[in-house]
Amino acid sequence: MATVLNRAVLAAVAAALGHVAFADDASDRHQWQVEIDAGYVAADSDLGPWTEGGLGKLRYAESNDGLISARLFAQYRGRISPTLTATVIGDYLDDASSGVDLSEAFIDWRPIPKSSNQQQVRFGAFYPPFSLENTDLGWSSPFTYSYSAINTWLGEEIRPVGAEWSLRRRLGFAGSPHELRVFASAFYGNDPAGTFLFWRGWSLHDRQTRLGDRLPMPPKPTWNYTGAIVGYSEQSVEPIEEIDNEPGAYVGAEWRYAKRVLVQLARYDNRADPTSFAGGLWGWGTAFTHLGVQASLPAQIGLIAQWMSGRTDWIQGAGSDGTISAFAEFVRDEFDSRFLMLTRLVHGSHRVSVRYDEFEMYRDGSAPRTYSDDGHAWTLGYRYERTKQLSGGVEWLEIDSHRDLWSFYSPVLDATERQLRVQVTYRFNAAGR
Amino acid sequence: MTSADRVPQPKRHATWLLALSIATPASAGSLNVKVLDDHGQPVAGVAVYAVPADAGTSATAATPQDSPTATMDQAHNAFVPHVLIVQAGTSVLFPNNDVVSHHVYSFSDAKSFEFPLYKGNAHPPLLFEKPGLVVLGCNIHDGMLGYILVVDTPHYAVTDRNGALALESLPAGDYALHVWTPRLKPGDLPADQTVTIATAGDVARVYRLEGKLLPDHDQGSSSLTWQRY
Repeated sequence: MATVLNRAVLAAVAAALGHVAFADDASDRHQWQVEIDAGYVAADSDLGPWTEGGLGKLRYAESNDGLISARLFAQYRGRISPTLTATVIGDYLDDASSGVDLSEAFIDWRPIPKSSNQQQVRFGAFYPPFSLENTDLGWSSPFTYSYSAINTWLGEEIRPVGAEWSLRRRLGFAGSPHELRVFASAFYGNDPAGTFLFWRGWSLHDRQTRLGDRLPMPPKPTWNYTGAIVGYSEQSVEPIEEIDNEPGAYVGAEWRYAKRVLVQLARYDNRADPTSFAGGLWGWGTAFTHLGVQASLPAQIGLIAQWMSGRTDWIQGAGSDGTISAFAEFVRDEFDSRFLMLTRLVHGSHRVSVRYDEFEMYRDGSAPRTYSDDGHAWTLGYRYERTKQLSGGVEWLEIDSHRDLWSFYSPVLDATERQLRVQVTYRFNAAGR
Repeated sequence: MTSADRVPQPKRHATWLLALSIATPASAGSLNVKVLDDHGQPVAGVAVYAVPADAGTSATAATPQDSPTATMDQAHNAFVPHVLIVQAGTSVLFPNNDVVSHHVYSFSDAKSFEFPLYKGNAHPPLLFEKPGLVVLGCNIHDGMLGYILVVDTPHYAVTDRNGALALESLPAGDYALHVWTPRLKPGDLPADQTVTIATAGDVARVYRLEGKLLPDHDQGSSSLTWQRY
């Protein structure tokens, strides 16, 4: 309750600042957008919430039942020149790794096209353009409060810090509905990506990792020479850190046909060296292929589907002091997830969405296959946009999962987790000289 | 009231009078055009223009002397109209009626220009002298796309929602009738037709577009987000 009140005070201050800035909106050289929310959550799960180092896939647990405020954030966008824009997104959170921090900060350069090739360059810390779901302010989703398993993970562990180049061109004649975009990026950071996915498993929520966040993880077992677990130690991870000082990369291509079909194929590789160690963190060599499809179906129904398949290479049993003992071994875990969502906007302000997610992670070469995570989820969401500023909604989420867990915690773990969430969101804009 | 509301119609009429007094006998007719797709449904936003077969009379003589103006608005992050047709020598205003800034540009051969970030009526009218197609974009909003078709004749119009348009007060004579829409591949556009305007009476023409009518760049589901960058 105290944190809800703290947020109310912070929100009031932000609102006051915003309205002062609003007084001078003759130009949009400086744009501020602030979002605050309040809601009620009821969760049903036997697992501790991941935000407290548990194995739960939900952001909230029964202990959180009651009033919540998911995120207070502000986006600043400033024009440095007609073709150069700076964007900074900062938020205040009070779970997992609390306080104020930035989730994205980048400069966007769009030179005026001299031909049908339109280029764009981004520098800084930003999301790769993979998610078809997180298209709203502050990388939030206009569809459901909790993101799909794939995009939740992108929000948790993927945040390139580097440069991205993209090129867009209309294919063929002037009015052609075919458009192609290609993009490529070289970046630092994201070297521990995969750590959290392995230890905690997939999850569905809306808590995005900020650049300096340290996330708690389920405890790490200690083995003796016979391979028996002799104890557990606490562990945590800073997903955005650079460890081996070698850049990672991603490339992709996207084809769009009017506003009817969009298909994107991309490959991401953090190119981290699993033997590298810095600042208490090990590198995890994580790479994946991502396919995204979005389409307009009859009756104004929209379809979004994403699929991801990848692997992470790491050293199981590596010491938290950077040593690799004789009991440690190089391992590879494969991960895979896909979801399909149908969404429909009714009368322009009501939205109904339904999503089905599947996800898994298993030890490469294991027979029978040993899953650190295997499950599926249903999400049902309703949103109502009362005005551009005020919106509300309700969401039901149910996740079923199974874990063999390498006998870390128990022989097997089967869980059904449910969460009901009701939320009211207030957003306001301000612009100034 | 913008200057565009004031100018085009009377001006065209005036230039026609000028042409009339110089070159042609005192006679005129109207050409009514209807454009249908291959299912017989009307198609809006199709540009039709009539070029006198006897070049050097009407078209040349009617070249605007003191640049008329037309308007290409920007509202709700779209160019309005989506297709604007003007005679060579026309100046076009680009008012931005949105609350956000736009950065309008074109790299087309017929007219290459750039209006850096602005709102309202920040820029004077821009003269379009060379016939051809000018494709407009906004460097801030990738989804914005508009067309200005610059033609070498004062006789032009764009079909309304019923797929209809009328070219009024055409001096008698032969014309080559051209049709253009961004929704057809250049090769699928209907072939030019010759029409004869007699000294009196109206001529009607129906175009049935046979090529595959492509969706407009912004046609599709509003239940999804398409601008992601």
